[in-house]
Amino acid sequence: MAMTVPWAQWFLGFLLVFSSIGVLLARKPVHASLSFLLTLMSLAGLYLQLDAQFIAVMQVLVYAGAILVIFMFVIILFQDAYHKIDLLESQSSRPLLIFSVVSFLFTLGLLGNALRYLTPSQRTVPKDFGMVESLGKALYVDFFFPFEAVILLFLVALIGALYIAKRGD
Amino acid sequence: MHYELCLGLFMPLLGFLGLMSFSQILGRRSANIIGCSTVFISFLCFASLLYTFSNPISLTLFQWIPVSGIDAGFTLYLDSLSLMMTLIITGVGFLIHVYSTGYMDHETDYARYFAFLNLFIFAMLLLVLAQNILLLFVGWEGVGLASYLLIGFWYTRPSAAQAATKAFVINRIGDWGLLTGILLTLVLFGTVDIVEISSRVTTEYARGAPILVLLCVLYFIGAIGKSAQLPLYTWLPDAMEGPTPVSALIHAATMVTAGVYLVVRMHPVFMMAPWALHLVGIVGGLTSLFAALCALAQTDLKRVLAYSTISQLGLMFLACGIGAFYAAMFHLMTHAFVKALLFLSAGIVVHMMHGTTEMAQMGGLAKIFKKTHWLFLIGVLALSGIPPLSAFFSKEMILEQEYLAGFYTLFYVGLTTSTLTAFYLTRAYCLTFLGPLKINNSSVKEGPPAMLIPVGLLALLSISGGFLGCCGSDAILEGFLEKSDISLPEIEPTTFFTPEAIMAMIGAFLGFGSAALIYTQYRDRLGNTIQVLKNSFYINEIYWNLFAKPLAAVSRFIDAMVEPKVFDGLIQGSVQVTQGTAQALQKMQSGQIRSYVAWIALGMVFLVIYLVL
Amino acid sequence: MDISLMIFISMAMFAVGVIGVLTKRNALIFFLSIELMLNAANLLFVTFAYHWGNMTGLVWVFFVLVVAAAEAAVGLALIINLFRSKQVVDVDQYNELRE
Repeated sequence: MAMTVPWAQWFLGFLLVFSSIGVLLARKPVHASLSFLLTLMSLAGLYLQLDAQFIAVMQVLVYAGAILVIFMFVIILFQDAYHKIDLLESQSSRPLLIFSVVSFLFTLGLLGNALRYLTPSQRTVPKDFGMVESLGKALYVDFFFPFEAVILLFLVALIGALYIAKRGD
Repeated sequence: MHYELCLGLFMPLLGFLGLMSFSQILGRRSANIIGCSTVFISFLCFASLLYTFSNPISLTLFQWIPVSGIDAGFTLYLDSLSLMMTLIITGVGFLIHVYSTGYMDHETDYARYFAFLNLFIFAMLLLVLAQNILLLFVGWEGVGLASYLLIGFWYTRPSAAQAATKAFVINRIGDWGLLTGILLTLVLFGTVDIVEISSRVTTEYARGAPILVLLCVLYFIGAIGKSAQLPLYTWLPDAMEGPTPVSALIHAATMVTAGVYLVVRMHPVFMMAPWALHLVGIVGGLTSLFAALCALAQTDLKRVLAYSTISQLGLMFLACGIGAFYAAMFHLMTHAFVKALLFLSAGIVVHMMHGTTEMAQMGGLAKIFKKTHWLFLIGVLALSGIPPLSAFFSKEMILEQEYLAGFYTLFYVGLTTSTLTAFYLTRAYCLTFLGPLKINNSSVKEGPPAMLIPVGLLALLSISGGFLGCCGSDAILEGFLEKSDISLPEIEPTTFFTPEAIMAMIGAFLGFGSAALIYTQYRDRLGNTIQVLKNSFYINEIYWNLFAKPLAAVSRFIDAMVEPKVFDGLIQGSVQVTQGTAQALQKMQSGQIRSYVAWIALGMVFLVIYLVL
Repeated sequence: MDISLMIFISMAMFAVGVIGVLTKRNALIFFLSIELMLNAANLLFVTFAYHWGNMTGLVWVFFVLVVAAAEAAVGLALIINLFRSKQVVDVDQYNELRE
């Protein structure tokens, strides 16, 4: 069920880029995370555009719902600390950073140039492309081993996070 | 036949190794026996080869340099020329070894002396037995080394050490010529094999080709250095710092004759380059006259003999210069006997007088040295050219060939030299043995039998050796050496009393008689010796100021300027570079996360650029 | 549908993320920029899954999401710990891993 509103992707695209820039430009961390939230939402919209409904919902649930909340908690925890950053000097070498940023952007430009002339896909999207059922089938049948591995990873991360964040003796 | 050849060659080497390895534990007697017996066995081997000898033998022991383009094997070549040389070397060498047992009886460093003597014999044998020039060069350098070691035997004496170094350095200058000659030989002939070169040179090159002249001149430069001819002679008088048997063996009988041997061995090449041959003759003639003049004014007994050696070698080269190679070899043989006799008998005097060689301190020693003075007299008479002693025949042959071949100037030069030779030898005899006795030390007496017997044998050889090589068309030596294509350019006269022979005899008697008269009757009225001649025309001083002092100045300059700035600077510089690089690279490990990410980003940039472009 | 726009957007977002990582000193914003980069990659995956009609891309996105969540949790725990010892949230002060 592709949405056929033609300007949707342009609108969502611009929103995405500007809100991600807003993450950088925000002065307070809380504002930055709010801008990030907007990014995530527009990303979910773009996923809907691309017929990946399940992923879109997962994005909102997991990213916006869980990860961003954790971020918010930690930001609240360090509310006062971020003032101190301005008191300290930057320790990394500025020229290096600037040079790497510039060259990186240049490279991205090169890559984009190379990828400019992709022809639109001739294939039609299969009928149940982004649906839960087909994704579930793929996960449990074709990609079962990575699925289980990721579950294990989750467990380890859970225990690890608990242990690290505990107040030390 | 091959076994005797190898045994004869390598026995002295074994002696050298054994004596050097066990020099601490060997007693005097064992060192004596080992040292002398190796050379004696060597002599017996070559003597036996004399009986069974018919055709030249070529024996390759192993492939020494199997590089294509050089292809030098460790090849020994035994023909009549090399056999004659080996007999002289081992025969005279053995007698000198026996003599040394008496001469060196006050020494402590016994085994080392005999070890070096054996090393010398081995190197000299290698030189004359080598079939290719590279192996000859090994022997050439080996005798130079042995000479250095033996001249500086009493190394605690600074004059001896300096003399040894001087000998080695001047030899080196000659060696440069020989080495360049060897390289040129490789370029011209593609091989270093002497037999092959000798046979190819007549067919491949035109007579008088300039490149051949250059080649011969280079070889001759090597001979000049080794045989102490005119520009490079200054080391030989100074080499008298070594023990007297060393002077006898190395600097009279054998090592200095290596240059003559080289020229004679390469005579096919020299015959194809007449200009070079003329040069050889001229240098030889000039040197013989020059040295004879210098010998007139020497006050040191051994130095008289040293200059005499230079003079006689000049005569040998003079003979080579007109193509009379056989005469040169004949004179080489008789000179070996006579010069060894002279040196060894002088050595008895020197040894018994506890090391003095100044003739000013000697005089009237005939009363003490009853047997030695006769031996010395025989040597004087022989070398002066008094018939029928051996050196008369060889000298007369040289002069005769000169005259017959038409080189009148060289003939007169040779004649003058012979007269002067008679004069200064007789002078030496008179100053040493005749006249009033100057010392009254009763500890000085006649030499021991160990020293007298070898000298006596040499005296016998000096008397009779001439008959080996002369008198009639069927002389033994001549026939022997003709097998190696060594002969005379002119036919020997059938009668004995040719005008040249008579002139030579008159000259000899004139020199002998006048010196005898002056130095016995008018001895007290003589002034000092002529300083110019005594200091050999101040050539030593010229060399010192011309070459040695500037070189020393350059060395000092380099040591003060170049060494600290350039070499130390280079080393310091590399240290600095390494440290600087390390410090620069250390900045990459700052611990800053953002810098690390920046480097990752840069790496990604390079990767993308590489893949896209 | 023309996917080149999506690719452009994805690259822009990734660039913003990289600039954020290299420029910001606040550890939390640093982390947020990393999440931005991850999302850019996700977008690219989804785009090409749509382009080829292949479900594998979506499965991959699923896994990336899961891993990002785990990584965010652990990373934030680490930041909390670091703050306890250093009293600042400046990434430039977290420089113990060096010579």
